[in-house]
Formats: sequence, structure tokens, C-alpha cells
Amino acid sequence: MKKRVACIGYGALTPVGITPADCYNAAAQGRSAITLHKSTFGCANAFVASLFEDRIAIAGNYTFFDSLIIRAAAQAIDSAGIDPASDRVAFILSTIKGNIEFIGKQDISLPDSAARMARYFNNPNPATVVSNACISGLAALVQGRRMMLTGRYDYVVVVGAEVQSQFIVSGFQSLKALSEKPCKPFDASRDGLNLGEAAAAIVLGDSAIGWELAEGAIRNDANHISGPSRTGEGSYNALRYVLREADINDLSFINPHGTATMYNDEMEAIAIDRAGLANIPIFALKGCFGHTMGAAGILESIISMIACDNKTILPTKGFEMLGVSVPVQVSAAKRSCSGSSFIKLLSGFGGVNGALLFKKGGQA
Amino acid sequence: MRIARSIDIPSGATLSNLYREHKIEYPKFFKMDTLCKLGFLASELLLEGDADRFEPREDRAVLMFSRNGCMTNDINYEKTMADYPSPSLFVYTLPNIITGEVAIRNKYKGETSAFLLEEYDEGRMWAVVEEAFQDSVTTSAIVGWIDCRSESEWTCKAYLIER
Amino acid sequence: MEDLIKELKLSIIEALNLEGMTPDDIDDNAPLFGDEGLGLDSIDVLELLILLEKNYGIRLASPKEGQKVFQSVAVIAQYVTDNRTK
Repeated sequence: MKKRVACIGYGALTPVGITPADCYNAAAQGRSAITLHKSTFGCANAFVASLFEDRIAIAGNYTFFDSLIIRAAAQAIDSAGIDPASDRVAFILSTIKGNIEFIGKQDISLPDSAARMARYFNNPNPATVVSNACISGLAALVQGRRMMLTGRYDYVVVVGAEVQSQFIVSGFQSLKALSEKPCKPFDASRDGLNLGEAAAAIVLGDSAIGWELAEGAIRNDANHISGPSRTGEGSYNALRYVLREADINDLSFINPHGTATMYNDEMEAIAIDRAGLANIPIFALKGCFGHTMGAAGILESIISMIACDNKTILPTKGFEMLGVSVPVQVSAAKRSCSGSSFIKLLSGFGGVNGALLFKKGGQA
Repeated sequence: MRIARSIDIPSGATLSNLYREHKIEYPKFFKMDTLCKLGFLASELLLEGDADRFEPREDRAVLMFSRNGCMTNDINYEKTMADYPSPSLFVYTLPNIITGEVAIRNKYKGETSAFLLEEYDEGRMWAVVEEAFQDSVTTSAIVGWIDCRSESEWTCKAYLIER
Repeated sequence: MEDLIKELKLSIIEALNLEGMTPDDIDDNAPLFGDEGLGLDSIDVLELLILLEKNYGIRLASPKEGQKVFQSVAVIAQYVTDNRTK
């Protein structure tokens, strides 16, 4: 019988909560740590972001980034109740820039961070880093699902994280991609994204219980390395692939990328409309957590699962008036929903897009 | 799964010469960082002469592996950071841009992914490629172990893989 | 003005890595964006904004404002002449 790849353990740390439940409550209550930073990281120009106040590393020779991925993984491993030292367990790390704040000063290699994490848990397998721009977390879940389906592993621990630094902030400033105010996903007056810090983890196992990671796809726009396709080509193709396994009438909502840049949100609205999903409620979480890059796909999937468990469509913080060319159903306020499945979307630089389909399982 | 074609670009080769020798016309090449130039050239050499080269297709994935990702370009960007941060360098500070460049050039609308491994590990690389074929749309893939240790020192092996 | 146009062309070629091009290859009045002319993109606009700030002390508010100035090398030259602070 084909395996049912299910999410059996969760971990999440953000500036508004250090457990998945805390992070969910913040999103449900519309709380956020997005604020103006005037000289943080030695940046010449002020920026608005969601950053951890407490940047303490765990004991041992670990950076703040390494500490975050280990703490998120530990939460997920504990809640799943698995033995991470087993050779039937594999680790995947999703990040874009990892320890980049130490460039020129110490080891910033992404696979070395992943290896330190696996070693912390005495895991014997080589860890894999998925670094697929802003869709990294989603791509890491796709990769984890595939590894489960081969039968080589009993559990895959998928961990994603990003910490911010002058390197990333100055880069996004150079691209004029940052808003100087709290971001406004899908809003008519949106003018850019806010960066965010987070770590999140999901343990995948073969179980009849819990959320099933039912399908996933990654598709390229083949258009431009830093601008999304105007026709939503890649996002639409990824959506189309996962929809083969979906019952549209059972979809509770779609949780899109919703970065609040002009082009991203417009592109996603077009892709959702092209896929015939313009009537499905959508909410975006960037107004609460900022754009958490390598963590986003995992963090936002976890929040969406809890939301769907609570039969809740979360508010899209920052959204007031629809500002995309097709009438997608962006939810401004918290409200109830039915259905037992949802879709997670992400898109990123390199023209890459991803879609995941989650389906609710039996009760524990 | 089988290796249909393979190519190796020796470390230290002059990439602009290779570009000219193969009569490639793609001015964007000169804007790329070294990692992307390698990925671009490797895919050009793999696909040279294919009749249906630039027909849009969704069934071919681009999967790139390395240890260092875009580290050499990260260093180049970091030098501009305090003064005038360069947007054209920053866009190459992502390990997956190499897959996007190959997809854009060849109009590949399929999967593109970048993976970083602690060391060159063929077993792990082929396992990931095999896993990628679980996507039923994917029937072939451009695969590379392309690792830049500096602007002039690299390993660049690329393959055309068929399901 | 002719000197400034040549200087601009050289710095544009360098900043945007327009390999193999010389100032003579760029028509003073040819469009810089779109399929005709140089075919520059959104990242190139951002690099040109930096070029104006670095070399001539001109700060444009947004890429959109830049699009108006970066119509052709001749238009840029006129704008620089009128607005330069260094």
C-alpha cells in the first residue's frame, strides 16, 4: 500500500511566539513584531522587519542560526516522539542564507550547518540542504515527502530557518523590494515586503493520523531571475499539478505567498484565478511574521494546518482593499470555514514556484 | 533512469572563450556570476545541436548540486554592501539562480531545484534525482554537480538524465 | 555634451557588463529598454540609479522616475547636465 506521508511533529520559533501554538495565536489575534529598525545590523538605511529580540545561542559552539534550527527540530522531534539517532531518520535543512552574517569571519557553509544539526541529534545520515530561494521551505517538504515515498526512511525531519543580517537587508533594499511600513499583502496600496526571522520544523512519518502532505510540485516560470511571470505561469502549473489530487469542494482555503510586492501578489492572484480557484478564501501571513524566507514554507504550512484544525480562516494583517486585477477572496478578518484540505503556495527568485496540497487525517 | 549525455568543464577554463568557441549568442551570459556561467555553459554543451532546443516544455527538470552554492558571488556582493549595494550582484546570491538561468534560456517550465551537500556524494545526488522523477510530469533532467571554490577553481560535471 | 555622452556610455557598458560593446555601438537616441536598442531589464534600471548617484550625486526617488530618465543616452546626458551635484 502506498505510504501516507503525514506531518507527525511540529516546531516553530518566531519573534511573536516560541511554539507552534504561540505563533498561531499571534496570527489569529493579528499580533506582529514587525517594526522599524534604525541601525540594527549596522545597516545604513532604516528598515521594517520582524526580528528576534533575544539572540542567545544554545550551549556549545553554535551560532544563533544553528541554535534556531536545532531548537525548532527538537520541538518537532519531541512532539513526534521519534528517535532522531536512528539511521531510518533523515534531516533536511531549508535556508537561503544561513550564517551569512559571518561572511569573511567564520564558516558560513549551509551544508555544514545542516551537518551540525544532524550531529547534534546523533543522526548518522548525510543531511540535505534545499536552497530554492523563497520557496525553499516548500521545496524541502516536497523533497521530504519524496524521500518518505522511497521507503528508505521511516521519518524525515524538515527544518527551515532564516536570520536577517546587513547582507540580506541591504540586498533587498538595493532591489527596492522592501516597504518602509508594515507590509500590506494583496492591498491596493501595497509597496513591498518586510523581512522576518523564524525557524520551523515538521517531522514527516507514515501515519493514518495527522495532516497528510498529499502532493507537491515545483515549476519554473522560465521568464526572469528576479521578476515573476505576468501570467503566473509557474505558479499556475504547480497548482494544476497538485489539484489532480484535490477535491476542490473540500478546500478550506489557499495560503499564498502574499509578500506584498506589487508583482508577486498580482501574479499569484492571476495563477489562482487561472486554476479556477478565485472563489476559494485566501489569507496571507506576511503581515504577521514578515517574509521569513527559508522558514516561510514550513512555518506558514504549520500555521495553516492549525487554522484548518480550528475551522478558521486567519486575518490577512495589513490587507484592507483588494489591489489585484482578479477578484480573489482575500480574507481581511478572522472567520470560520469548512473543508478538510488546503493549498500552500510560494514563489521566488530564479523564477521558481511551488504548491503543496495538505489533507486532514483521522484523530489521534 | 539513465545518463544520456555528460560533460565536464575543467577547473580554471576561460569561460568567455568557451562561450565564443561554441558560437553562443546570449549577452546575458556576461551578467552572470561564475556559478551561473558554468551551469549555463554546461547545459549549452549538453544540448548543443538539439533540433527542438527552444520549444517550451514542462517535462524537463533542472537539478543542481554543490557544496558551496553561490559563495564566491556572496563575497563579491559583500564588498559592495557598505557602500553601494549592487542589485545585479545580489540577485546572484541565491544558490538556485543557476537553475533559473538554464530554465529561462531553454524555456523549461518544469521543476527547478538546488541542493547543497556537505561533500561531493554521487550516491546522494543520484538518489535525489531519482526522487525527482516521482513527479509524473518530469521525464528528463539537466543535472549538475557544479561547485565553485573560487572564481577560478571549480568542479563542473553536468548530465542529461532520462527517466 | 559629447564628452558626457561618451563618458556615460563607457560607464553604462561597465556597470551593466555589456560585453563586447563600444560607445560607438550605442546610438545616442536609441531606446535602452524593450526589445529594440539595448534591451535592458529591471535590475539594469537599479544599477543605473546607483551609477547616477555615485558618479553625479543624483538621487532619483524610484525606479519609475528612473524609467523616464533612462529613455536614451541623450536623455540621460541632458538630465545629468541639469541636475548633477558633482
